[in-house]
Amino acid sequence: MAKKQKTSWIVWLRRLAQTGFFLLFCYLFLQTVYHPINQAGRGVTLFFNLDPLVALCSWLASHALVGAMLLSLATLAVTFICGRWFCGWVCPFGALHNFFTSLRGGPAKQKLEAGGYHRWQKAKYYLLVAFLVAALLGADVVGWLDPFSFFFRSLSTSIYPAINKGLVAAFTWVYDANPGVGPVRLTLVTEPVYSFLRKYFLAAAQPYYWGSLLVGSLFITVVALNFWRARFWCRYVCPLGGLLGVVGKNPLVRLNKHQEKCNNCRLCLVDCQGGAAPDKGWKPSECFYCWNCKSDCPAQAITFTVGSPHEVTCHSERSEESRPASPGVGAVREPPLLIDRGIEVGKKLR
Amino acid sequence: MNRFSRWIADFLHPPKEARLDLGRRAVLGASLAGVGAKLLFGIAPEASKRTFNPALIRPPGALAEDDFLARCIRCGECMKVCPTNAIHPASLEGGFEGLWTPVLVTSLGYCDYECNLCSQVCPTHAIRQIEVAEKQKIKIGLAYIDRSRCLPWAYSKTCIVCEEHCPTPKKAIWFEEVEVRNIQGEKLTVKQPRVDPELCIGCGICEVKCPVRAPAAVRVASVGESRNPENQILLTTDSYGQG
Repeated sequence: MAKKQKTSWIVWLRRLAQTGFFLLFCYLFLQTVYHPINQAGRGVTLFFNLDPLVALCSWLASHALVGAMLLSLATLAVTFICGRWFCGWVCPFGALHNFFTSLRGGPAKQKLEAGGYHRWQKAKYYLLVAFLVAALLGADVVGWLDPFSFFFRSLSTSIYPAINKGLVAAFTWVYDANPGVGPVRLTLVTEPVYSFLRKYFLAAAQPYYWGSLLVGSLFITVVALNFWRARFWCRYVCPLGGLLGVVGKNPLVRLNKHQEKCNNCRLCLVDCQGGAAPDKGWKPSECFYCWNCKSDCPAQAITFTVGSPHEVTCHSERSEESRPASPGVGAVREPPLLIDRGIEVGKKLR
Repeated sequence: MNRFSRWIADFLHPPKEARLDLGRRAVLGASLAGVGAKLLFGIAPEASKRTFNPALIRPPGALAEDDFLARCIRCGECMKVCPTNAIHPASLEGGFEGLWTPVLVTSLGYCDYECNLCSQVCPTHAIRQIEVAEKQKIKIGLAYIDRSRCLPWAYSKTCIVCEEHCPTPKKAIWFEEVEVRNIQGEKLTVKQPRVDPELCIGCGICEVKCPVRAPAAVRVASVGESRNPENQILLTTDSYGQG
């Protein structure tokens, strides 16, 4: 009777936005090079300008603020209204974690049990407090864990040089070996690809960085932790997420669960990215507005609304067609889904 | 009440389950961690301002160390943009507080005389925005000759590589022509390089191009950097007076 929920168009829109911002971040990263004559790419610091955490810490520590960083006020304003929307829709580092989280295997039951709120998610707020207090006293070390700093630093000093080296080695190997039959050689395919990469992706000269192993290992660890907990970094570590969680602790856009429709199957937890406890007492500071819970809910019991309608009116949003036909039972409502049955459904969800 | 006034009411007095309850003691503990970090950073030798790490060469335009650390977010923009791969994330060159801040490793790359890209991309202006003309006058360090390795000094061989690459309008490396003997006892004239501390800006191209490797026979140290009047090779009356 319960059938797989169709992924909501809002989820697709969110994925599109995340992909776009991620590609923008990568594009700006690749633009952070020398252009003739003596010109760095334009606007390459965009994401840092949108980051209220580095603006706040720099200002606390140095009592000065770069004008472009006032852009981060826009992030704060949106967060005040829409909660941690930024984490779920804009942040390119979050998009990366989202991607690796979606690669998790394992039974849905396991995801369900690990998907709820955990008190260690408060760790990011304590990190935030420690960073802010240290910055206030003049020690601005927030860059160690600021997400954009962490991501950009890891890319520039470790991940990108490694990819660059690997690609060049692979294409050079194919070029030297040049496998093929008669005039049909593999290089006919690889050389145009290599020319393209050389023009748009590869570094002019192979970069090497001091201490790149530590930076790269930390990055890989943080990415790998997504397989243990969905968006581990965003839930437990990210101090920017903490700041946005504080600013967006009572947002105007809110999750509303219609109790009369909820059958307590807790499928909303399976794909919950932030650990925002959509099943019981939604936590706005943890919610990324990823819309997965709403998309996954087989009973359509979850909606996002503007403002705080405490008393949910009993108008049915479910159309009659979507109700399972149960002629024999007549007036009896659809029985609550058993958790195990729900999990069976959840296996197919992503 | 409509939903907006309820939202405002909720904002002022959020319901218990939606509250972000961090706990006073835990927040106090986190604050103390921040204070503790500041105190521990403060007793590192670098903080005494009496000792300076010769390897802590900051990019040109970098603010004085305290201001620099207060602004740098260790994002790696300058490291990515540097066309000569000279800027690297610091390990402990600047103390633990300076972890992953940019530092020039002049054995790997030099600061190009015509380039100011790192100052263009620094998002917090920890490396302040400077024109190329201004950058060309900023000293980031000072080169010194290792006479026990330098070809003309140590091996009586002819070499003028460092002087040839020196980019300042009036070369910061100059020669003294000296008549020496080689191992066969033959007399020959070599040019022994010397560094003029007034002219040298510490860009490090001499170190990168020096034919003597690991380490080069001419190297750069942070001493003499414009951003730090304390870290100078000659004692000023001020620092002398402080003893």
